[in-house]
Formats: sequence, C-alpha cells, structure tokens
Amino acid sequence: MLYASKLSLIVMAPKPQRIRHLVGATCEGAMRKARTMSTETETETETSSMKDAFSKYADYLNNINDKRERVVKASRDITMNSKKVIFQVHRMSKQNKEEVLDKAVKVLAAVNDQYLSRLVKELQGTDFWKLRRAYSPGVQEYVEAATLCNFCKTGLLLTLDEINATLLPLSDPSVEPLQINILDYILGLADLTGELMRLAIGRISEGELDFAEKICSFVREIYRNLTLIAPEMDDSSDMKQKMETMLQSVMKIENACFSVHVRGSEYIPLLGSADTSYPLLGMPDID
Amino acid sequence: MAGTDFLNPSEKLEKQFVGFRHHLEESGNLRERIQAVATEIDSVTRLIYASLLLVHQSRPVTEVIEKAKAQIGVLKEHYSQLSEIVRECPGQHYRYHGDWKSETQTVVSLLAFMHWLETGSLVLHSEVEEKLGLTPTEFGLDVDDYLIGICFMSNELPRYVVNQVTAGDYDCPRKVLKFLTDLHAAFRMLNLRNDFLRKKFDGMKYDLRKVEEVFYDVKIRGLAANGDSSGEKHAQGQA
Repeated sequence: MLYASKLSLIVMAPKPQRIRHLVGATCEGAMRKARTMSTETETETETSSMKDAFSKYADYLNNINDKRERVVKASRDITMNSKKVIFQVHRMSKQNKEEVLDKAVKVLAAVNDQYLSRLVKELQGTDFWKLRRAYSPGVQEYVEAATLCNFCKTGLLLTLDEINATLLPLSDPSVEPLQINILDYILGLADLTGELMRLAIGRISEGELDFAEKICSFVREIYRNLTLIAPEMDDSSDMKQKMETMLQSVMKIENACFSVHVRGSEYIPLLGSADTSYPLLGMPDID
Repeated sequence: MAGTDFLNPSEKLEKQFVGFRHHLEESGNLRERIQAVATEIDSVTRLIYASLLLVHQSRPVTEVIEKAKAQIGVLKEHYSQLSEIVRECPGQHYRYHGDWKSETQTVVSLLAFMHWLETGSLVLHSEVEEKLGLTPTEFGLDVDDYLIGICFMSNELPRYVVNQVTAGDYDCPRKVLKFLTDLHAAFRMLNLRNDFLRKKFDGMKYDLRKVEEVFYDVKIRGLAANGDSSGEKHAQGQA
C-alpha cells in the first residue's frame, strides 16, 4: 500500500509540483507507516472481503475476455476464408464458369466445416448477443460469400433460413445452436451488392450482357427491400452508410448497362469485324 | 451461362424481407418500451443524486441517506419492469443491454456512495443485485457496469473530502484515503481491456491523488490531531 501510493504520487504529479509531492510523499509515507501498524487489525477484514470480491470479478473478466479473444480469432479466420470464396467467384469467365463455381462451393463448405464450426465451439451456445461484436464481421463476410456463390449458381437469394439450416449440424445437440441473426445477415447482404457490382462489370466486359442485367435487377431488388428495413436496424447509422455505398454500386451497374445499351446498339453489329474500339465490350461473342 | 434457371427471384426475396421488417418492427417496439423505463430510471437517479448532494453541505449523513433511500424502492420497481420486458425475448438480454447500461452504471455509483457513507465499506456486486431485486439467472447486473459504477463513485470522493475538511471533519481524509487506496489496489487485480472501464479506472488515480493532497494538507498542519479518531492520535504520537 505504501509502495503503491508513493508510486502513484510520483507518476501522477504534474511537473511543476513534482518536488513538493516528493517531499510530501516521504514524510507522509513515514507517518502512514506508523499508522498502518496501529489500524491494521480494524480494517483488515474489510480489505480482505474487497479483495475476495475483486478476485471473483477478475476471474469473470478473464474468462469472458479470453472467450471474446478466441471468438475474434475465429471470426478473423472466417473473414479471411470467406474472402477466398469471393475471389474464387470473381475468377469465373465464360468458359470455366462451372468449374470455378464448383471450386468456390467447395471452399465455402470448408469455411463451414473448419472455421464456422470453430466459432460455434468457442461460443458453446452462450453469449450470442454479448459477444456479437466479436464475431459479427466474420459472419457478415460469410453471408456475403455464401449468398454470392448461391446467386451465381442459381440466380436466387440464399435466405437466412437456408444458411442457418447449414449451421445446425455444426452444433453440439446439447447446446443452443448458433444461428446467424437478422442483423448480421442484412449487413452481409449490404456488402454483397459491392461484390455483385464487380461481378457485373466483369461480365459486361466479357460481353455477357444478360448476366449483367440479371445482376442489375437482383441488386435493385435487394436495395429496394433494404430501404424499408434499414431505419429499423438496431444500429442504423452503420446501415445508413452501407445503404449509400449500396446505391453507388447499383448505379454503377446501371450506368454500365446503360453504356452498353446505348453505345452497344451501334457497336454490337460491328463486333466480330476488325473493330474492337469499344473498350467496354472488348472481344466478346466471337467464339 | 451457369445460372440458366433465372427465375424471377423478386417474390421469394420480398417474402423474406417482409418477415425481417416484421421482426425488426417488433424488436423496435420492445426497445422503445425498454428506453421508456430507462428514462424513468434516469429521472429517479437524478432525484437520488440531488438528495445525496446535500452531504457536501455538511448535512447529517443519516438524514441525507434516509431521503435518498426512499427512492430505492422505485428503482427496484423499474428494474422488475425491465426484467419483465426482456423476458419476452429470451437470450437477447445483451441485444438491448446498451439501452439501460449507462443508467445502471449511475445507479451503481449512487448505491455505492450511499453504502459507503453508511458503512465505510464497498458495496459488492451481489449486494447491489440484492438492493435492486435482480436475480443473476434472469436479469443480472453486468459486472462491467458494476465496476464502472464504482469508478464513478470514486470520482465523487475528492469533492466530499474537500468539503468535509472545510466543515471541520479532519479525520475524513484518512478514512477516504484508506478506502480509495484499497479500492485502487483491488482494481489493479483486474486484467482490463482497452475499453471504457479501463479508461475510468485510469481516471481513478487522479481521485486518489486529490485525496492524498487533502490528507497531506491537513496532516502537515497538524489539524488531523484535533480529529476525533483515537487511532489517529495514536499514529500522531508515534510519528
């Protein structure tokens, strides 16, 4: 106690007052030493009950912090590997579509088996909401990857129930299973539009205009539906920003489709001839 | 093209989102009800705080506490309302926790201050739960909120010491210093993250310093010798 208060005096004293404090600390210290001896017994029980209580709080904090840390790690691994799925999807071109998507689905399944299952294990059926911040980024990225994959394969939106159904087998039946909550799913969908925008631009440059238009109408639908939901979200400021980015993405796709539509009507008949001057279309459709 | 079966996804998609909207509207309503209770709690804590502030004007502690204590029952009632609302969404306690967090921290700080004025000791986490009628299994007091509340209470002590000394209670700094030193030592047992609690704990040392200064000022002038503590006189003799 003596050491502690001396230290705190030295550490905390602002510069001009330091000398005064040091003097204070020494003579005060001597006096306190004497007093500590005399009052030791009277306050001892009080002090030790405080210590006992705080060692309980310390245990609690250590446990929850360790758990949070493990969950954050699991979440990071999910993010990293979900990103791999997304990159894999972007590798698709006209010729190798099936092959590329099959591989993406495999990587996604691996994310499920290895990384999501680890998150499930770390959470052990508890603290889903308390630790949500710790795992939310990973889950959002996973939603993004899974919905992107599914859209490219089927053209449909993978629903939350469908995703959650794939999570059920990961859980130990004795604990409450991890189910992705609506908020993380919606936030993941909001990010999906950014990836779809990249995909659409890529498809247009390869001349797959119908695919690009499918993406366009899909993204519009998502945006339209989310506008109604965004203000109801728990943390709507985050969502508001995502909505703005989403609108940017939607407009980028629309503008790209517009360019092709307007200028393409002039140039498409020329394709296949020597004229490749239209950069957006590149060299497509000459199989 | 891979996705050959491009159905019109619009309907299926919309159906899901309608469900989401429904869910979010419900949780929004729940949140509003929680916030309404939290506002009530907030106004009760203001009343308690206002009555407790009289200790700085050297009103007798018992009188001050009596008045503040009368409000604890009201708090208890509000917490049982909260608990009832949260019971409607099992497992989602922490989804809404942010809506009563800061109010609860203030409640803890006031209860802790009252408890300390009365007994000179620190109110424990379980004791606060008991005072508020909370059950850990249903609607427990978050340990972080408790600890933050305790830090808030520590912020109140320097002012108390200054005013007590001005009012002639020269033994007060010794008692407060002992309490705060112990409390600070106890807090150092915790491994904190870089969060709000850590920040509040870091601030506690300034309270400690201020109290040390007051203690020093009183001691160096020999004023503490006039205090009524026998232990103090004894110590003075030895020094």
